[in-house]
Amino acid sequence: MGLDKYILKNVKAKIGIGVILFFVLVAIFAPLIAPYDPRAIAFIPWQNPSFKHLLGVNSYGQDIFSQVVYGTRVTMMVGIFAGLLTSLIGVVVGLVAGYKGGMTGEVLMRVVDVLLVIPGLALMIVVASYLKSMNIANTVLIIGALSWLWMARSIRSQTMTESRRDYVDAARALGMKDIEIMFREILPNIFPVVTANMVMVITQSMLTEASMSFLGIGDPMLVSWGKMLSVAFDNSAIIYGAWWWLVPPGLCIAVLGYSFMLIGNSFLDVYANDRGGTVKL
Amino acid sequence: MSNMSVSYILRRILGALFTLWVALTINFLLPRVMGGNPMDYIASKNAMGSLEYAQILSQQFGLDKGLFEQYISYLGQLLRGNFGISYSTFPVPVADIISRAIPWTLLIVISSSLIAFAMAWLLGIIAALKKGSVFDNIVVGGAFFIQSAPYFFIGMLMLMFLGYYLKWFPMGHALPSGTPIGSPWYKLIGPVTRHAFLPVLSLIVVNLAGRMVMMRSNILQVFSEDYITLAQAKGLHRGKILGKYALRNALLPSFTGLMLTLGSAVGGAITTEMIFSYPGIGMTIMNAIHSQDYPLIQGCFAIIALSVVIMNLLADLLYPLLDPRVVLK
Repeated sequence: MGLDKYILKNVKAKIGIGVILFFVLVAIFAPLIAPYDPRAIAFIPWQNPSFKHLLGVNSYGQDIFSQVVYGTRVTMMVGIFAGLLTSLIGVVVGLVAGYKGGMTGEVLMRVVDVLLVIPGLALMIVVASYLKSMNIANTVLIIGALSWLWMARSIRSQTMTESRRDYVDAARALGMKDIEIMFREILPNIFPVVTANMVMVITQSMLTEASMSFLGIGDPMLVSWGKMLSVAFDNSAIIYGAWWWLVPPGLCIAVLGYSFMLIGNSFLDVYANDRGGTVKL
Repeated sequence: MSNMSVSYILRRILGALFTLWVALTINFLLPRVMGGNPMDYIASKNAMGSLEYAQILSQQFGLDKGLFEQYISYLGQLLRGNFGISYSTFPVPVADIISRAIPWTLLIVISSSLIAFAMAWLLGIIAALKKGSVFDNIVVGGAFFIQSAPYFFIGMLMLMFLGYYLKWFPMGHALPSGTPIGSPWYKLIGPVTRHAFLPVLSLIVVNLAGRMVMMRSNILQVFSEDYITLAQAKGLHRGKILGKYALRNALLPSFTGLMLTLGSAVGGAITTEMIFSYPGIGMTIMNAIHSQDYPLIQGCFAIIALSVVIMNLLADLLYPLLDPRVVLK
């Protein structure tokens, strides 16, 4: 389907993929890159960056650089899996609501509207406090189950436009089933929009994971970038002037998230050009 | 009004009421499936964990009754504007706690949304007019980068540099400690502004980033429509086209956005209030969740749901008045 048009000929997308590959490598080879155990309390607390500790030592006496390296694994895993789950729900709901319309579509969109009324983060806190313990799978499930609403809306409106095109009528005339038309005909045609949404949702999931960590929900044993930020904040890194504890994890999230967004945007640009206009998510 | 029928208005109002009812019902059910017994918590705080005390409290709060009975009395009380008594700061009414917290949240969220919207319109228009220029690339790139960073990270950076290193602004709270209760308002303006500055600034930066990109793409979309091409064919200047035709149509969608932002204003600032220890609704919700204060959580959620639904409804009803092209059945 001409993937080179979307990736190989697009500078933005190439930069984005390059950065993501870098972080993937860091995640895979974390044990080789990190000089110390990220959780080991083995050093004098509050050390400034040095050759021994590239990003200093935190208030507990843990090596911050090693935590950033291992944090790549957690943040990326949560982001990608939660993003995929969100996309799965968002695509199915959006396709059905957009293609079927009528009663089914109306009910589905009502559900979306109602859920959008409740502040997502507060809902996540309530749901998380209901769970006995938090682990990485729970985190992924909570984020995925509660963040598909905007994506469903976006896919729905794109599907509604697409349903009016000739090839859908043709498919119907051929006697294809609704489900076939939705997933075999419409879905491939809105694939760039789905992909753009998906990478944006991955960024969003990484940010949500960070917020959850900041608000004190999330697996206390996992060292994610968001968790590092939250621990640094709780331990007054600001008034110790320990910027080397705050800035690296935050910057890592921003850079990784930005590269996902670059890919999403370039997909949308190409898609919009193909259809001779702008496409909004 | 010609494009808006009575049945459209009625259907919107009914829809809003339905949404509100579902939200309130979820609101009723959620804390009850959360687990933990808040009465034991109050008893452990006030009466050394006495079982009798916990039982009497359960009766007082009606928690010993059936779920359906509780639900009916919950809805009935809400209709009368009674949000119940807070568990954690027993016996202060929830309505009191909420009405003390709401002005702070409204202050920072409304001021930041309005400023962010005005700036987003301006920057979005310039970026769209100069599409592909250095300015456009920097502004759009910057906006996406800010959107990729965790919001609380941006807040922390501001707190660290503007609050801690430069000491321009206080490190938290809405007022200096020791401000006498009932100080005249003109003495409070200065400290309130200084304390609200960083929370507002952080919210502006984040809102601006999202809105600006949207505004820019709205304008670009309008520019691609036929009547703009016609205006260009007639030889009209690009700036004139913008002022005369494009701007109005590009502003419309962001009007809905503004209404929705203001609607979610009440609940939208949990993280902000945590970072800057700002005593608004977000802070209240966090504290309520930590101390399992059901009535307080429910009260906050109910107020949030109400404000979102009302603003949504207003947006739906006002939009056809602003945009005559919308024909509604």
